[in-house]
Amino acid sequence: MNANNSVTPEPQTAAVKLAMLISGAVFLLMMLVGLLMRAAQGALIDIDPALFYQLMTAHGTGMVGTAGLSGAAIMWYFLGRHVHLTGWVFHVFLGLFLVGVVLILGSIFLGGFATGWTFLFPLPAHSGGQWEPGAAAAFLLGLVSIGVAFLLFYLEAGRAMISAYGSLTHALGWPLAFGGNTDNPPPPTIIASAAVTVFNGLGIVVGAAVLVVSLINLFLPEFAVDALLAKNMIFFFGHIFINAAIYMAVIAVYEIVPEYTGRPWKSSRIFALSWASILLFVMAVYPHHLLQDMVMPGWMLAMGQIVSYLSGIPLLAVTAFSLIVYLKGSGIRWNLGVALLVLGVAGWSVGSVPAILDGMISVNKVMHNTQWVPGHFHIYLLLGEVAMAFGFMAWLVRGKEAGLSGLDRLGVYTYIAGAGGFTLMFLISGAMSVPRRWAVHFDEWLLQDRIATGFAVLAILGTTIFVMRYIGGLVRSGRA
Amino acid sequence: MQTIILIISLLGMAMVIAVFMRAVGQNATTAGAPDSSSDTEGKRSRFIWGLLIFGVIVTAGSLWRWPHDVEASSPNISVNVTGGQWYWEIDKELLPVGKPIVFNVTTKDVNHGMGVYSADGQLLFQMQGMPGYVNQVRYVFEKPGIYRILCMEFCGVSHHEMASEFKVVTAG
Repeated sequence: MNANNSVTPEPQTAAVKLAMLISGAVFLLMMLVGLLMRAAQGALIDIDPALFYQLMTAHGTGMVGTAGLSGAAIMWYFLGRHVHLTGWVFHVFLGLFLVGVVLILGSIFLGGFATGWTFLFPLPAHSGGQWEPGAAAAFLLGLVSIGVAFLLFYLEAGRAMISAYGSLTHALGWPLAFGGNTDNPPPPTIIASAAVTVFNGLGIVVGAAVLVVSLINLFLPEFAVDALLAKNMIFFFGHIFINAAIYMAVIAVYEIVPEYTGRPWKSSRIFALSWASILLFVMAVYPHHLLQDMVMPGWMLAMGQIVSYLSGIPLLAVTAFSLIVYLKGSGIRWNLGVALLVLGVAGWSVGSVPAILDGMISVNKVMHNTQWVPGHFHIYLLLGEVAMAFGFMAWLVRGKEAGLSGLDRLGVYTYIAGAGGFTLMFLISGAMSVPRRWAVHFDEWLLQDRIATGFAVLAILGTTIFVMRYIGGLVRSGRA
Repeated sequence: MQTIILIISLLGMAMVIAVFMRAVGQNATTAGAPDSSSDTEGKRSRFIWGLLIFGVIVTAGSLWRWPHDVEASSPNISVNVTGGQWYWEIDKELLPVGKPIVFNVTTKDVNHGMGVYSADGQLLFQMQGMPGYVNQVRYVFEKPGIYRILCMEFCGVSHHEMASEFKVVTAG
């Protein structure tokens, strides 16, 4: 069942390094866009609302897409340690991804398209004079291209895992989870990759369906899908996609942290069970995005609330708990890579608290679509997925070198302070009922916007250090 | 309510941060084997059961009375609200204080969100509006005054200008 002996360790390092370079650069660029948006909301600079919403669409799409790209690169890199992957698939994946990026950027900055990354049906066809159907089509086709890229990626990952482990259920670790069979279980990377392959593969298929419907609706308005069905499909896809990015990135923690602690991350029964529950929860939880749609069946809304809470248990009681156990007394020698990986799990865990609260229907009534929402998702992206991605990047080019340099410390502390303060301002604004996605803010909301702008500068400084350190590492490894 | 939610959230977040800080601090102590597996798994098991029991209590408490219930002991007053890019149409502009009022919300074009704000800028409740459906929410206003409606779902270039208001007055 185990294919460890038949594969080349760490395949396609160059392609993965390129994907991470693109990810780091786009993260930085999109953070600058975010800085502009917060400064505009704080009336520190003047941005026309039409441009603001274009920037907002670019920021959301860019960040979600890049989180997906960096997560996929991490999964591909470590999956290649355990199964034989077909190299050209990753190149085609990257190519299709970049084609999608070009289409999306063109649609936004040449065509004026601005629906936010969620393209909530039927908004793409109701531009209010801001964009033509062609611009909307370019955006939707761009997403289709990225979706096809990911589908291809998961088809290859699934093929390779089935080939090595006999079936997806074996790769998922179900004999261990449900049968207690401890005979040569798949490593954590395989279990995680198999689960993500299943749920993100399904999510992307549903996303592709609603994208195609939205595309047809642009040119044949009489061809319209039910707005509630479309909303369900979009949030099913969107929720799964962004969560898959985090679940792929955490594979770096499973693989890299043991190098520092000397304690292997084991595929225990609780680990396999937690991933089986994640597979279910990630797909069942999406109605928590529709808690203010009272026409939804009540049981689905109740399920959204309950599964929101349950989703925190595998994260807190398995991933975070295990990391803490492995860290305690390990005598670990910190460097930039492992520090950011640990920060990523901590940030993800911290962000789950306001997210779970927002998943309660009674809380959601006064917090939904306020800045509380970007507050919690920026915590588990900025301090979670993005931190893990930068941790992987640091490890990728610098290995397990001991010690945090002064510049590394400056980067980590600046990043934590900046991202922490930035997200706290969102939460405070949410508690003050400031709606999200508003280009222009009332005077009484400006203070938090301005403070957040300052924290954003700090986060960007930290990010700049991470990116520069990565580029420096690439250059050094290129010379070696 | 929002302040309480913020405090609970900050406390929960601080607890998680403290646990991680403690682990990072303890990592510098003498290196050795991690906690014995039976002790660790016992702690984990208790943690999971604790989370599950807490979750059952919170779920039961928060869903016992359905948050979206529109039934009322006294007759409801219905208000029909229609959203469009970028306006709100309300069929009643004067509403009584202390009486249950049911808002029926739909839209003519895209998804909108009807957020009802008090005069001091606090979001009291909200609901989504979408074409082809009518969402309902019941609310009892406790104070007379001017209440604002702001759009809570991004709906295009003038989303932030999609505002309206109504007045709540003392009956009789």
